[in-house]
Amino acid sequence: MSSTIEEKAKRYSAGWKVVKEWVLLLLLLGLVLLCSLLMPKFRTTNNIMNILRQASFTAIIAMGEFFVILIGQMDMSISAIVGMASIFFAGLVVKLGMPVWIGILVVLAIGVVIGIINGALVVYGKMPSFIATLVVMNIVRGFIFLYSKGLPISGLPEGFNFLGSGYVGIVPFPVILMFSIALVLYILTTHTSIGRSFFAVGGNLEASRLSGINVEFVSVLAFVFSAALTVVGALGLTAKTLAGNVTLGDELLFDVMTIVVLGGTSLTGGRGRIFGVVIGALFLQVISNAMILMSINTYWQWVVKGVILIVVVLIDSNTNRDVVTTVAKKAEPVKAAAE
Amino acid sequence: MEIRGIMSDSRAGEDAHRDRLPLLEVKHCTMEFPGVRALDDVSFALMPGECHGLVGENGAGKSTLSKCIIGENCMTRGELFVEGKKIRISSYTIKESQRLGIGVVHQEFQLMNDMTGLENIFIGHYRTKAGLIDWRALGKKSRELMEFLQCDVNLNVPVKYLRTAEKQIVQLAKAVLYESKVLILDELTAVLQEKDIENIFRVIGVLKGRGMGIVYISHRLGEIFECCDAYTVLCDGRRVDSGRVSDIDKPRLIKKIIGRELTQSFPPINERLGETVLEVEGLTAPKAFRDISFKVRAGEVVGLAGLVGAGKTELVHAIFGNHKVVSGRIGVKGKEVRIRNPRQAIRLGIGLVPDERRALGLNMMFDIKDNTTLPSMAKFRKFKVFQDHKAEAKAAFDINEKLELSYYSLWQNVKNLSGGNQQKIVIAKWMLRDSEIILLDEPTRGIDVGAKFEIYKLINELTRQGKSVVLVSAELEELIGLCNRVYVLFEGSIMDVVDGERKTQEVIINTLLGVKGNE
Repeated sequence: MSSTIEEKAKRYSAGWKVVKEWVLLLLLLGLVLLCSLLMPKFRTTNNIMNILRQASFTAIIAMGEFFVILIGQMDMSISAIVGMASIFFAGLVVKLGMPVWIGILVVLAIGVVIGIINGALVVYGKMPSFIATLVVMNIVRGFIFLYSKGLPISGLPEGFNFLGSGYVGIVPFPVILMFSIALVLYILTTHTSIGRSFFAVGGNLEASRLSGINVEFVSVLAFVFSAALTVVGALGLTAKTLAGNVTLGDELLFDVMTIVVLGGTSLTGGRGRIFGVVIGALFLQVISNAMILMSINTYWQWVVKGVILIVVVLIDSNTNRDVVTTVAKKAEPVKAAAE
Repeated sequence: MEIRGIMSDSRAGEDAHRDRLPLLEVKHCTMEFPGVRALDDVSFALMPGECHGLVGENGAGKSTLSKCIIGENCMTRGELFVEGKKIRISSYTIKESQRLGIGVVHQEFQLMNDMTGLENIFIGHYRTKAGLIDWRALGKKSRELMEFLQCDVNLNVPVKYLRTAEKQIVQLAKAVLYESKVLILDELTAVLQEKDIENIFRVIGVLKGRGMGIVYISHRLGEIFECCDAYTVLCDGRRVDSGRVSDIDKPRLIKKIIGRELTQSFPPINERLGETVLEVEGLTAPKAFRDISFKVRAGEVVGLAGLVGAGKTELVHAIFGNHKVVSGRIGVKGKEVRIRNPRQAIRLGIGLVPDERRALGLNMMFDIKDNTTLPSMAKFRKFKVFQDHKAEAKAAFDINEKLELSYYSLWQNVKNLSGGNQQKIVIAKWMLRDSEIILLDEPTRGIDVGAKFEIYKLINELTRQGKSVVLVSAELEELIGLCNRVYVLFEGSIMDVVDGERKTQEVIINTLLGVKGNE
């Protein structure tokens, strides 16, 4: 025994890598500080809560997409699923007069089925996920337009508004929901074997299979998570306006992708953290909020978000390349010296 | 690109070579990878019009040397001369070597499968007429080329429809077109049949006549005697011998390749065997192996020998449920089992250490701890749901310390470790999982001698604990030193079982080359 387990743990934690993991949080705090100093309107409690509330449902949807990207795939169907959940839920509740909770369960179930189809096409059909989910997106979109003829369905019960705009004390309910989901998913990803399996599959599919991980199940599950969390997010967005709308999620995909990657998730899979996604969502929301407060034309947001995505992806694909020798060389003498 | 010029220069006397300048000369080449010295002071010279056989066991440094020559690897120390001109090693790249006329033909094809042979030959060297590709001129040129090589290959169909041997001809034609002066043929014939090999030899003869120098790398020693003029034997990255083929015979060459003094001794083979734990009967998978039957007892090491493509890797993957079989049965501890996927195999106590540890054995994004505990996560749970990271770390720490892993921290990424250390982690995975049957596919490939010996000790340690090992290896010495019994595979079937006194390199080599005679 050359050194104890504690020593080997300690050696690691002092590295720069820890700083890197929190760099986005530091950036977010810096950005918030900067905005607060420059704009008095920004630093009001109201505005801060507003940012949190607006970020929360996008964040929830992004947490779903996170799992798909974590296993090295991509889910393009989320915008159609948002529309589906919104319009079907409104249809069920308003037109058929079902109780809200049954409506929620039904659209959630449809979401899960779509997730399973996505996953099955990718895993068993061996289709590239980009194509498979794109096709599913179009099919789902076709169905919901057939159902609604493109028109919104309004008249949801007032009480349902709580999901989107309610407050618990001074904290908006969506924010509580977002953090609760994030906490559950955090425990799932870090403290359960199924959660670790997502990372394993994304890091090396074949090695995971040969280590006895049910890679098919894990992959399908990622798509199911994505679809189900998208439904949750969609219901929240619907609750804000109390109307079902097929085009509700049309501009969401880009934001969601940006958030997931911004949150430190590797586009090739295998690396990422759930709270990174939350921070990414807040980061993006702070930027759009600040731009609105500065009365900049909203279309500039698209430009700015696009630039952010390019920068983040550039960083992602140009770092973390094999830096083979540096650490290995450091590693060897430790053992030799101890003996 | 003047083909007529090539043909006229077709006689080159044997003796004339000796006075000429070597086409290619490597002097005192040393190649070091982190932790491994792949080549150690190797010198090598290739004369014009010569076919130079480069022989040695797997891992002897043949391909490393060829990579140094073509500039894929940058030699650590040493000098390289092309036609007497010294090459600056630091700026030497593949592109540079192509410019100097050094070409390589691999066993794997570097052809665009959906393009025709014609396009494949001329790609990047299109001749144009008024800005358009002059297909007629190219067609004429290709016919000249084929005439020169005296081959008849249909160049107007996509190359994916060609037979393996015909694809090789296309690759050779490409090399001729590029005006290569030096051609490296790396295991070109490994997947070819007798008749096609003859044809390749004939083409090699034509190329030699043109004054080209050919470096011929092959496992099949018979071929060296058939088509090579000179030979160089490499062993563990050192040049053991070189000379003219006419001055040596096959048994002496075999001795040179394998008959070195043992630089290390193997731990004694465990003789205390238990019950039969793994039984394979009539296992068949199309295009990989057929009718494989063997038994493994507790505490035993059973070896599988065979050339590349003999079906060894597919066989262990099939036992592990990762390769489809059409018939045959597998028994584990006396019970017949059906293994459809690796999960079931693992549950039955089987573990696989795959041949490509970077691609199949490890998750390069995970740290040491997570890689070690990946198959046994279920063992470390709190309330049956939550992973107990502390217990996992403790277990991973214990097992890795036992394997004397050199590491910095358990939370260190595995990709920075040396090959030997990575392999230890893959083995540690299954030790932690308490697997009873461990399938080792080339466990010592690409790791240095010291680490190899540690792996040997580890295998021995496993058998002492009553575990069974199936060892696939291309290194015969390893098989003989470690295994109780060695099954020799040739083109997918078991040709021979050697144990006891017959367990010698000569017997195995002859069987796996398919000669199966007495030499």
